[in-house]
Amino acid sequence: MNIYLKNILRFCVIILLQVFILNKITLHWFTQPAGALFNPFIYPLFILLLPFETPVWVLLVLGFSLGVTVDTFMTTAGMHACATVLIAYLRTNVLNALMPRNLSEYINQQPSIKNMGWSPFLVYSGFLMLLHHSVYFSIESWSASSFGPLLLKIVASFVTSMLFIIVYILLFTRQNVTRA
Amino acid sequence: MRNFILIIRRFFNLILFAGLEIICFILIAHSHTLQGDDIVSSANTATGLIYKKQTDLFYYISLGKMNDSLLSDNVRLRKIVDQYRTLDTLRDSFVHKALVNTDTTVHVIKYADYVYRTAKVINNSVDGINNYITIDRGSKHGIAKGMSVISSTGLVGRVEYVSANFACILSILSNKQQVSAKLKDGTFKSTVWDNEHPETFLMKDMPPELKVKRGDSVFTTSFGSVFPPDVLIGRVAKIEMNKKNGKQQLFLTPATNFRNLQYVYVLENLLAAEQKQLEELPAKK
Repeated sequence: MNIYLKNILRFCVIILLQVFILNKITLHWFTQPAGALFNPFIYPLFILLLPFETPVWVLLVLGFSLGVTVDTFMTTAGMHACATVLIAYLRTNVLNALMPRNLSEYINQQPSIKNMGWSPFLVYSGFLMLLHHSVYFSIESWSASSFGPLLLKIVASFVTSMLFIIVYILLFTRQNVTRA
Repeated sequence: MRNFILIIRRFFNLILFAGLEIICFILIAHSHTLQGDDIVSSANTATGLIYKKQTDLFYYISLGKMNDSLLSDNVRLRKIVDQYRTLDTLRDSFVHKALVNTDTTVHVIKYADYVYRTAKVINNSVDGINNYITIDRGSKHGIAKGMSVISSTGLVGRVEYVSANFACILSILSNKQQVSAKLKDGTFKSTVWDNEHPETFLMKDMPPELKVKRGDSVFTTSFGSVFPPDVLIGRVAKIEMNKKNGKQQLFLTPATNFRNLQYVYVLENLLAAEQKQLEELPAKK
């Protein structure tokens, strides 16, 4: 499939998944009455899965538009956009550190378990997702007074988001089944 | 000049990054001033339409549950109507006459008039620091900023953003707004909500001699003319002594179940403008 078409489609699918399914899930950890409510986010996965050689300015513009779209649905003016632009900016540096060759040598490939292997991909997505969640929830609470609950919220949301991301990757990657 | 362009080309990504982040912070700052810019909110027409389609689907599935809640609301209203119906006003005609003709010290006051408008909830959040509810009524149907919103079981919030067909309600699960509340005996104090206890409200610093039991109801007051009086906010769930200042802290469970809100009533106070105008007079002098 054409790489542009594929990414536009993925943008729509991820937004729909996030807004209509994941936003409806509000879970408790350590409930009653001080339970940390949290909400898993998978939409940053769109930025994480763009092809290796995407220039930084394209990443930034796409990150901003992705964030603003999610903000529009969730009435959180600019908070998601802020966190997403940050991870879009840092994505290239993280990938450079993790990949053995220069990024421009991977033509028409995207970060995935097949191209990177399990542990580099998990480190890559885990680091950026943790950054995204910390920035988002810090901006949302906008104070250091409730540090404990904030930390709990970040960790709980991060773990759930990563679970959903792994499920998404396993579902939407074409498996090369070798027939015996 | 050439050097300048070279520098811009070299740091283009950094400049773009900084620029976009600044735009984000401007958006955030705007939404925190309560001035009501609804560019980025779900009162926006495009997202409103998408949410409406989705609610239409879920609405059908949960018709049964909704029927029950409307039924219980009807029972409550019927009880109130019956209380008035059983009053035999004809026999009391003497008192009635006296009121009109002779006793000039008694005045009949026209109380605040409310217009009730029903609205369907099309989007709802419960887990943020400030939670918003989107409804399918907007300025076209007479909704304006600042109107209070209740459900069939209790208080919900206040209209914050309005577009032509949709409106966003800032629910009372928010640290932006405090609700003036009173107990059964009339002691009043404002309730606070904080994100550390997402399912409860707090009434801080109640005097220690006050006798409160678990399960006592807490109602709104008419102070500030934001909310209509005597709407149920919640019930006392836990009473705690604050050891630092020796005062009581009450934890309330909200009367409205914010997780499955489907229909709300938007209240317009017809006399609010007049009251506000009068109350502002001393401030001007």
